Amino acid sequence: MDNMLEMYLYETNTLLEQLDELLIEAEKNEDFTSNDVNEIFRIMHTIKGSSAMMEFSTLMEIAHHIEDLFFFIRENGMDAMDEAHKSDLFNLMFQSTDALRTEVEKIENNEPLSTNIDQIIANINTFLEKISGPGEGNSEGTQSDEKTAPVSAPADAQAIAVINQDLAGCPKSEMPYFIRIHFDEGSGMENLRAFMIITALREVELQFEHYPEDVETNSDTADTIVENGFFVGLSSQEDVEKAVHVISDQSNVETYEVFENASVKQKEKKQATATPADSETKSKATPSASGTSNTPPASGGNAPVKQSLISVNLSKLDSLVAIVGEIVIAESMVRSSPDLQDLKLDNFMKSARQLRKLTDDLQDIAMSLRMVPVSGTFQKMNRIVRDMKKKLNKDTRLTIIGENTEVDKTIVDSISDPIMHIVRNSMDHGIEDTEEERIAAGKDPQAEIILSATHTGSEVIISISDDGKGMDTDKILAKAERNGLLVKPASEYSQKEILQLLMLPGFSTNEEVTEYSGRGVGLDVVKKNVEAVGGTIIITSELGKGSCTTLKIPLTMAIADGMEISVGSSMFTIPIANIRQSFKAAREDVILDSSGNEIIKCLDTFYPIIRIHDLYHIDTEVTNIEDGILIWVEASDKSYCLFVDELLGEQQVVVKPLPPFLSHFNIKDSGISGCTILGDGNISLILDIHSLYSVSHNYY
Amino acid sequence: MSADTQENTIYDEVLEKGIDTATERFLVFSSDGLNIGVSTNYVIEIITNHAITLLPLVPDYVKGIINLRGQIIPIIDIRLRMGKPSIEYTSSTCIIVLNIGNTTIGVIVDAIQQVMDIDQSQIAPVPVENQQELISGMISSGARSVILFLDCEQLIRTY
Repeated sequence: MDNMLEMYLYETNTLLEQLDELLIEAEKNEDFTSNDVNEIFRIMHTIKGSSAMMEFSTLMEIAHHIEDLFFFIRENGMDAMDEAHKSDLFNLMFQSTDALRTEVEKIENNEPLSTNIDQIIANINTFLEKISGPGEGNSEGTQSDEKTAPVSAPADAQAIAVINQDLAGCPKSEMPYFIRIHFDEGSGMENLRAFMIITALREVELQFEHYPEDVETNSDTADTIVENGFFVGLSSQEDVEKAVHVISDQSNVETYEVFENASVKQKEKKQATATPADSETKSKATPSASGTSNTPPASGGNAPVKQSLISVNLSKLDSLVAIVGEIVIAESMVRSSPDLQDLKLDNFMKSARQLRKLTDDLQDIAMSLRMVPVSGTFQKMNRIVRDMKKKLNKDTRLTIIGENTEVDKTIVDSISDPIMHIVRNSMDHGIEDTEEERIAAGKDPQAEIILSATHTGSEVIISISDDGKGMDTDKILAKAERNGLLVKPASEYSQKEILQLLMLPGFSTNEEVTEYSGRGVGLDVVKKNVEAVGGTIIITSELGKGSCTTLKIPLTMAIADGMEISVGSSMFTIPIANIRQSFKAAREDVILDSSGNEIIKCLDTFYPIIRIHDLYHIDTEVTNIEDGILIWVEASDKSYCLFVDELLGEQQVVVKPLPPFLSHFNIKDSGISGCTILGDGNISLILDIHSLYSVSHNYY
Repeated sequence: MSADTQENTIYDEVLEKGIDTATERFLVFSSDGLNIGVSTNYVIEIITNHAITLLPLVPDYVKGIINLRGQIIPIIDIRLRMGKPSIEYTSSTCIIVLNIGNTTIGVIVDAIQQVMDIDQSQIAPVPVENQQELISGMISSGARSVILFLDCEQLIRTY
């Protein structure tokens, strides 16, 4: 059951995401293409079907009504609608998908579904009436057909059933064979059970008709089924055998019987009345067949892409990556085994090289498995911009660049919120309140937010820029002063430093709390989230021209390029990304500041020196600045030099978290972010350049 | 639901029966002249001569971490944990790897003594005036020796 629910949630969420993308795209073009309409119809049908199966009736109802709506649109074409209707339709669709999404969220959080969905359904129905009004002639026909078909059919059947119990087959069917199915007495929800049989039969690709037809949507049919049974009409003896096989596998089926539709005459007599309803059945059955079965062999060609994808539990991938990491380590342990030293082993080395290549490939593939494009996250922003555009009445377009850039799954998840926050900030505070303001400033009346992602070696750079009014550094400074966030005289702050103030906890430039931003959780949370995945965040802004927020995020957290260094008998790894330069220093280069701390000049700026052996109390013989080596490191806004004994070399390391037991000791705050196992089996601690600086500050 | 309750009753029965006769197997080690027992349910293995990677800025009883076949395990010295003076590690010094709850931890002890079955009902509480943080009970074995029992849950709880 849990598995089914998981599948259901996954599938429904994917479909809703697809739907959202499709709606945004369609809204840009201000029209639905017939493909879009079919796609929406298909999505709604699938959601309806699976929700019914899972007994989430709220979802089913909403989806059902949207499906009806789009059934109508498909029949009549989008051209039948005027502009106002179209924009109403978009709003309605966004509302309805939101309603669906909230319900799905409720299911995810194990909350009861809301029972009051009349509002949404009424909205949809009103709209349907509105658009069906003008295009009367043709549409009325279909609609009434739709209505009458289910009503007349049971009436017909009942009459026959009363006359002839045995021949209570569907009178309007031309199928020569029938199977009549009775469910266990009191099993309840017979219509849904019937629907499950329909689905099962479709899965084996049988052509059949069933009666009552509307079991899926009309819960009243449950009574009819209890009384008369559920009928499946089939065309050949062969099909009957297949169907019987399927039906006998279904649960809750008490009895079923197969009989031939002997009374051809009776059938012919009835044919006159049956024809219209029959054609209606077909037109309805075709789309549903292609919609419900999830793996139609390219039926309709709607989503052939999906078939090459499977969904895998993330924890399985994690353990795969972990094991591959182990293999890489084990491999280098074998190769550098002390037993092999001084031996000349040509064949062994040859095979070992081959093994190395294979493990490297394996590692690359394992890593790439976790990579997903950022497009999903970016697409969500489309929706936010759209909603806020309407609410705030600011005409804005969102331009997305490089949405196919791939990033580790965990990172994608954790940057979604920060990006959303920044986009909201841009919309809310960045962009001018009125078009006039923009025109006066000589800008395009339509504002633009550019969301871009690019790769640079081991990092992905995501930037969110707007062409709004930019940030007023004086205001920021004044506000920071009011909030007591300044640590030095206001006049000493540089432009860059002022913008950094924005990300301090307790800073929010907007006095008023709006629906979208300024709720007190501000950029400091964004900064924290970004730093949690090892990224950095930089804000640049020019008053009157706009602002740009840049996130630099490592591609993956599991593997890093590191520089091995030694201090005494300990080994540490410094992420290469943090290293700017390493150099030998002469004694006279080192200057003492007023409180006796060592500082050194690199490229015309002074940087503090942190001696790791002092900081971590490690015994080493290398205490003279000329004997060891200085490494100039940088992490977000911190830049300083580390003094270490020697450099051991560059290495790709598999990052392992420290045991949770050690978190009691705030090990994370002592400048160590994790550890890695070296080729010889020893452990090397990975230094966190950013927090190391704070440690040293507290320490001195 | 019904299966659940059934399981519970079976489990309860086992417990009830167990109280009278259950003996539990204990690994007894020595540390600073004390004999301390730890239930073998917790013990994963005993290792010797492992290179410990030092960790900076942690209490002195946390000796560091080791790489046990790819698993990173924190190591503590039970002597220092109990506030006793540290001694030079010898050939008999070894690390007992314990799995307590979900935490795997290595404990450095002076020497391993033996494994013995102990009737749980014989375990007496520690006299109040001699309460010690990590000891949950004691039992006398033989003429003059006493075995103390290590409170493993307490061991992984740190302040």
